[in-house]
Amino acid sequence: MSGKEFFVSRYEEMGWKYENVKPKQALRINTINTKEDDIIKRLKSLGIKLEKISFLQNGYRVCKSEFSVGATSEYLLGLYSIQEAAAQIPATLFTELKDKTVLDACAAPGGKTVQLADLMQNTGAIIALDVKRQRLTALSNQLERCRAKNTIVYHMDARQASRLKIKFDRILLDVPCSGNFVTDEHWFSRRTVKDVERNAKLQREVLTEAAKVLKDDEEIVYSTCSLEPEENELNIEWAIKNLNLQVEKIDCYGEKASTNIFGKQLDSSIENCRRIWPGQTQGFFVCKLKKRADAP
Amino acid sequence: MKLIKDFVRQFDANISLDESLIVKKENRYFLINKKLKKLITKDFFYVGIYLGKTRNGKFFPSFNLLSMIAEKEANKINVDKKTVWLFICGRDIFKQGIIKVMGSKRKGDHTLILNQHRECLGFGRILHNLDEERGGAAVKNISDVGDFLRREK
Repeated sequence: MSGKEFFVSRYEEMGWKYENVKPKQALRINTINTKEDDIIKRLKSLGIKLEKISFLQNGYRVCKSEFSVGATSEYLLGLYSIQEAAAQIPATLFTELKDKTVLDACAAPGGKTVQLADLMQNTGAIIALDVKRQRLTALSNQLERCRAKNTIVYHMDARQASRLKIKFDRILLDVPCSGNFVTDEHWFSRRTVKDVERNAKLQREVLTEAAKVLKDDEEIVYSTCSLEPEENELNIEWAIKNLNLQVEKIDCYGEKASTNIFGKQLDSSIENCRRIWPGQTQGFFVCKLKKRADAP
Repeated sequence: MKLIKDFVRQFDANISLDESLIVKKENRYFLINKKLKKLITKDFFYVGIYLGKTRNGKFFPSFNLLSMIAEKEANKINVDKKTVWLFICGRDIFKQGIIKVMGSKRKGDHTLILNQHRECLGFGRILHNLDEERGGAAVKNISDVGDFLRREK
């Protein structure tokens, strides 16, 4: 069970007609380091043409630039980050982040970690984990460049987060996933359903550990850049049934997730998740979960 | 913390750092706050504000530390747009690119390099007295933010 035809037919069954898209590069203003109007003026003066992304607070599409937007002094000074548009959504879904203790469980290369620091205005604390040591250097460079001050980075598998002996107010689970064809042109020839199922299992293990270290009545935001329901709707259905988590309503870009996947009826609250089919952005899935106080 | 203070003094500057909030991991130094101090365990990889590292007894500052110094009274040079670009590409600074000198103009002194928005791009060493009319490079580039790109390679 692999190949373009197989996966595309699954997408069609879920109601999306395949089209090959190439979304524009996006950037996010780091408001702890600059005022939005100032940096937009500066980038315009460099000849960079930007367009505001309607569904993001600090996100812009790069419409035209004669050079890499990752090589300007403004970028190197941490005034903005290059961050795919859909990837800018998860961190914005938490209610109130100031002074909170936040876990970024699968943090490298750190785009969302520095976004969290920005949203928290460097208050509270972020504990950022990643299982791959070589990726921690990229994460550290992001933190230094963006002048994040509230983060502790550990080389740690998210499935061992309870070793930290910290109970968190907020947890971001941007879990390792199968990705999608927009960001990987060889995706269809590389991926099989077995890969997807292996990733889905790992994601359930990460969700299980996150539920353990989350305070009662507090929030997890779960996201993937996979289009495969095993890593998205079906995992959330599993979390509702097994981890005493409930899906919260969110107001963001994307379609309501389907509560019927390949004939299987799912919990009605799954429709509060958002599925983003490729188009203006890459493919994405995001939802907010809350731990019920009566959870074990 | 002497080596950090000694480094800062090279810019004729002074910053006060609470020593109880400075932590060391191998050869790297970090400044933390009280909240992070409560949460941190010894096996961390990175924390708070990275200050810099030592190698062979020499201190190499982070850009965060340089920005902290730049907020104080210190040796600083404002440069023009073209020079900003050349400097972050690793090039030395020529006199015609200098807009304003604050603090020392003496040969051999260290100075921070700032853009027109007073943002610190790195630092260098003055190669000849900046009052003198001389051609050639005036400030030797020691470290610049373009390093973030070079590190990725």
